Amino acid sequence: MARLGWNDMVDFAKVICDEYKLFEGIELVPLETYEGMDTKPAWEFKAPMASGFYKPYLIKGSDKIEKITIGELHYMGRAKYCALNMTATDDYDLPIFACEFDETAPRVGVTTDFMPTVDIAVHEDYLKKYYSPIAGLWRKYRTIPGFTKEGRCLVQRRYGPWPWARETLSPFSLDGRVEEKEDRKKVMEAVVAYARVWLDLLEKAEPISDPEYKQEMLKRKKTMQKYYRDLDPGGEVMKKIFGEGKHHLFVSLVF
Amino acid sequence: MGEGIKWSPYLEKMREQMDQLKLSEIKEWSGHDITPAREFKTAQVQGGFKAFHAEKIEKIGVGSFYFNKEIHYGFCTIIPDEDYDLPMFVSQWEEGEKEIRFLVDIMPTVDSLIDEEYRKRYLESVQPLWEKYASLPGICPEESDAIRSLCSIIYTAAKVPIDKEGLRLAALAPHTEYLKSYLNFLQEAYSIKDDTRRKEVKRKRGVIRDVLRKRFSGEIVCDSVSEALEGNLQEQMVAILF
Repeated sequence: MARLGWNDMVDFAKVICDEYKLFEGIELVPLETYEGMDTKPAWEFKAPMASGFYKPYLIKGSDKIEKITIGELHYMGRAKYCALNMTATDDYDLPIFACEFDETAPRVGVTTDFMPTVDIAVHEDYLKKYYSPIAGLWRKYRTIPGFTKEGRCLVQRRYGPWPWARETLSPFSLDGRVEEKEDRKKVMEAVVAYARVWLDLLEKAEPISDPEYKQEMLKRKKTMQKYYRDLDPGGEVMKKIFGEGKHHLFVSLVF
Repeated sequence: MGEGIKWSPYLEKMREQMDQLKLSEIKEWSGHDITPAREFKTAQVQGGFKAFHAEKIEKIGVGSFYFNKEIHYGFCTIIPDEDYDLPMFVSQWEEGEKEIRFLVDIMPTVDSLIDEEYRKRYLESVQPLWEKYASLPGICPEESDAIRSLCSIIYTAAKVPIDKEGLRLAALAPHTEYLKSYLNFLQEAYSIKDDTRRKEVKRKRGVIRDVLRKRFSGEIVCDSVSEALEGNLQEQMVAILF
């Protein structure tokens, strides 16, 4: 098992934006207010035990984006809690792109997914439209050592202790614990591959025209957001470090 | 091939659990006689399927067959009566000489992300089994995208490599244990009072059954097995199970 030093850990935001150039050709503009909150305190923060940033953006010229947040929280020089979230506005039924990438010396705990905003079992068209483009990627990347171990493929199991969180996942989630340095890099490749598909789907997305369907979608979307903002086990630590107000801002930007 | 294999007692073990219910056999489904599937033998396949009715249950479908004496298939489904919001029980078993592939699940008939009470009652209560069987060799996600999309957060699927004979029974255990849990739900199930709820359940159970029917050939059983189910045997199996 590899134990990586701080300097060998993944520079999450840098890898996504500079190495993979995920947003090349897209003009990101800072989102200064989100749900009535001034987001600037999240752009760069520092506390005695932690520092980092959660930078929320919109896409210039697009009315389809609620937020794109990229962030890293560095904890005591020992752990990095990183996130990439891309959420469409309430007029679109796109799944929520969510990536949680938590790295410590021995391993990365990661979940990357398109979280469905409707009950995927009921809406077969939704499955075809949003998940057939990542089905091949899911099959490819679920073999990364850690996601698959000793002949056992363990995706859809990282959130074992939190049934509410497993409910939010699609049947195409890539989640698990990855140890080796090269495998951690492979995980980043997977994250970017999923994110590229999501951005492509965003470009093609049409607003929802059926008001009943929209209501159904919003109910599920808001339930998911509430779950993560209220129940995420990392939230309690954040509250202790940053206080209630900043905690609410940070978790709202990340999910 | 297949001659020396001590096949697992899938059907016997599942029927053993069912015997606690007062079952009455269903002989016709949607106007079609399904009794020819009770026992069948063709050049390539041999087995039998039956459907039953029980209190609070629209249909229990259970059966098994052997393909060329090389693959042992087993199925058990429980579709609750439409007056109840009970989940659906689905068990699929494909046993070969060197590997067993299976899926067992308790599929929710409502959106269990939104309905927390439902999730706690029918899914989280089975979570200890989900955790227990996570250690089975060959545990993996269900391969079919369409079927995996129907599955609950506590489904168990695997491709268990049979490198010692005890593994056949180990792979069977999730099926009997999930079934026991499901049967316990029946006692406390109450009929749906609310029309919106009734509509939601009706829609979801309809989609689940439809997907499983459509995916039987090609995904649940492979094409060559499907072709070997001569005449209308496959249609009868599908009618019995879903």
